[in-house]
Amino acid sequence: MSSKIPMRRKKTTFLTNLRNQKYLLLMLMPGVIWYLLFKYLPLLGLSLGFTDYGFRAKVSFVGLDNFKRLLTSTIFWNAFRNTLIISLANIIFYFPTPLIVALLINELKSVKTKRFIQFLIYIPYFFSWVVVGSIFVNLLSPSTGLVNSVITKFGGKPIYFMASVKHFRPVLITSYIWRQMGYGAVIYVASLTTVQPELYEAATIDGAGHWGRLWHVTLPAIRSTIVTMLLLNLSHVLLIFEQVLVMYNAAVYGVADVLQTYVFREGVLSGDLGYSIAVGMFTSVISLTLVLSTNKFSSRFLEEPIL
Amino acid sequence: MIKSNTIRESTSRKVFRAFNTIFLTFVCLIFIIPIWNVLITSVAKDIDVMGSDYLLVPRSFTLQNYWRVLNSGYMGAFKNSLKVAVLGTIFSMLITVPMGFALSQKHLLGRSIIMKAIVFTMVFDVGIMPFYIVVRSLGLINKTAAIIIPVGLSTFNLIILKNYMGSIPVSLLESAKLDGCNDATILLKIVLPLSVSILAAVILFYFVSYWNRYFEVIMFINDSRKYTLQVVLRSLMFESDDSLGGGQYVYNNLKMAVMVLGMLPVLIIYPFVQKHFVSGIMLGGVKG
Repeated sequence: MSSKIPMRRKKTTFLTNLRNQKYLLLMLMPGVIWYLLFKYLPLLGLSLGFTDYGFRAKVSFVGLDNFKRLLTSTIFWNAFRNTLIISLANIIFYFPTPLIVALLINELKSVKTKRFIQFLIYIPYFFSWVVVGSIFVNLLSPSTGLVNSVITKFGGKPIYFMASVKHFRPVLITSYIWRQMGYGAVIYVASLTTVQPELYEAATIDGAGHWGRLWHVTLPAIRSTIVTMLLLNLSHVLLIFEQVLVMYNAAVYGVADVLQTYVFREGVLSGDLGYSIAVGMFTSVISLTLVLSTNKFSSRFLEEPIL
Repeated sequence: MIKSNTIRESTSRKVFRAFNTIFLTFVCLIFIIPIWNVLITSVAKDIDVMGSDYLLVPRSFTLQNYWRVLNSGYMGAFKNSLKVAVLGTIFSMLITVPMGFALSQKHLLGRSIIMKAIVFTMVFDVGIMPFYIVVRSLGLINKTAAIIIPVGLSTFNLIILKNYMGSIPVSLLESAKLDGCNDATILLKIVLPLSVSILAAVILFYFVSYWNRYFEVIMFINDSRKYTLQVVLRSLMFESDDSLGGGQYVYNNLKMAVMVLGMLPVLIIYPFVQKHFVSGIMLGGVKG
């Protein structure tokens, strides 16, 4: 008996809560339905990766056939290799850039100049990939582009950057940095303003020079921002898609085709849905593993899990 | 000794500062020059862009190019983009604002579970295809709604709104409740008027994101009459589309005019809301 009473009380409070919060819950509804439809229902759709869904009216379970197929597909391995190369280049060349630029902006004395630079370099982040891609096409055009006119002025031959197997990946990375760098730099600058000035004073008294202060005060103080940015970067580095979709062309498929564009062509354009879901799942799982292991690493060594 | 030390320090600082100024000026130029080149070319006369030397110094000014572009097939795409961005922003606000407010109320039933479920969707990306199949089975293919509803909610915007609304003093909401307000009237009469600036930022954020969409459009829309500006801009720039010049070579000034249209909302809106984008993007807010 005694155990039943609290249970009943709990139930009534739950019901009264429900009644009291009816407006709040109603407001929540459209959003919750949206999440279920477009974020959680697709999760169930992953199971289609184990079927031959796409070509026939009747869907049948094929087990791991799609995965066996992708492991023997040369186009898949090419896309996989390209994704890894582009991602690695991205981490090496893109990741440190916003931090370095932010540290340099932070050294400026004039607040107005600081603001102006941030204002300026943050603009491209709001341009679509189509616009950014177009800006680069314009800049790199063999006939009217600025870069090639400089090259020819110095006696070189115009380079067809967008169609060149050798130059396409550097163009991808450069345009990625151009669009995304300001976003990272603005975040770092904001986090640099939270470093306590007393720490610098104390370090100076202890005899730390400029590099010493940078190494022992500034970087440790913003390390959680750095790790967060790294995680954010890792979480979509393998999922690179729209940029490549916009900028690549038949001449550079060999070096530019990444996993997501491969999925897009196989799935949306060829209609091979089951197989393309399997490829996508492969990508998502690797990407998730990368993020979770970095998070684990960060919680062990920096004592700061981000997720 | 000490004196010489400080002097040496200050000269090395001077050198550093000079280097820093040069470097950051260079960085600024990297961002200014490509955009400047697009802008001046878009207002140049045909005769000036025929050669290959129209790069940094403007030689003519005319708005004719925009007039020509808007009187061509590009007007349709421009209208489509505008329609998607306006309807999309309205739809997004209608679901984001109530949800953000509900989640900002700490006593909300199931709040922590819902927050966890939302953050999970940020970490785990299901990929393009399952999403495509859901949209297709909802019968949205080739409908404008396909480029609005399935991308209608941005978790990022939701969390900015939730955090902002959560920072409004609870005492304010409680006294309104004592005056007989329910949660709906509290949202309309108290919370929304207090959140005007953040609402403006979110509206503009949504607007720009709809305006910029590309791959969803080519994925869900087959009918070229429904294409948005980004899609036609892409084919103009990357496939040397000839629809403007009637099968002839398209002058660079016309291309650049289309491109300026493609970035128009950003150019207009950005100066006003830049500071919100800065405060809004701090990811620390996600965990709360």
